[in-house]
Amino acid sequence: MVDLHDITVPTDPDEALAAVVALRRLADRIERQAVRSALRQGWPWSRIAQALGITKQAAHKRLSDVAADDSST
Amino acid sequence: MFQAIKSKLSNMSTIKLLCERAETYALLDQQREPGAEHFLLAALDLPDGTARLAFEQSGVEPDALRAAIERQYVDALRLIGLKADTPADMPISASPGFYQAASSGREIMQELAASRKDHRPLLGAHVVGIVAGMSHGVAARALRALGVDAVVLRSAADAIAENGHAKA
Repeated sequence: MVDLHDITVPTDPDEALAAVVALRRLADRIERQAVRSALRQGWPWSRIAQALGITKQAAHKRLSDVAADDSST
Repeated sequence: MFQAIKSKLSNMSTIKLLCERAETYALLDQQREPGAEHFLLAALDLPDGTARLAFEQSGVEPDALRAAIERQYVDALRLIGLKADTPADMPISASPGFYQAASSGREIMQELAASRKDHRPLLGAHVVGIVAGMSHGVAARALRALGVDAVVLRSAADAIAENGHAKA
């Protein structure tokens, strides 16, 4: 478990911004894995969208290829 | 005249290959829009071999770049106290529609377009020269993680590109 108090924001902007980029990339990957898992468990897109706090259309537009990936494996 | 047309056709073919390879690397990296780091990897794949040569002349193993790109993400997370390996995943699919690069990728394409009159022909070394001139971003951090002196790499790339120009 990560204690958020242990997270320190570097004072060097280059390092801080690099961390932001890395966190976004990590979040994107976690999102794709979570959506794939949800689809495998039979979640409809409306439920996934609600959990992500975005519209069904936005979720489908951004992540619909996760379903395609899944069906090709 | 014939030489100019031949050079233009060659450049178009190189741009197409560069963009396609950059997109492939971006999709493997779970990103739809290729950034500078993906264009740099793509440049190393170009058949002219000049991007690889620029790396080798700067004392850097070209095949180490991909791992260095991944490593800089891990290093960036570690800087804020997070020890997290980004989970590996399968490549994503390309979006239908127009080709779109990320901001840093667009910067490369714009610089290539601005200097296109000097490309006879366009070479991987031209891309390396542009990326080596970027001081921030994933590509710059990956080069630093490789221990690359960006000034040395840029000089090597520019010299190689100029020789390519002189040969044409």
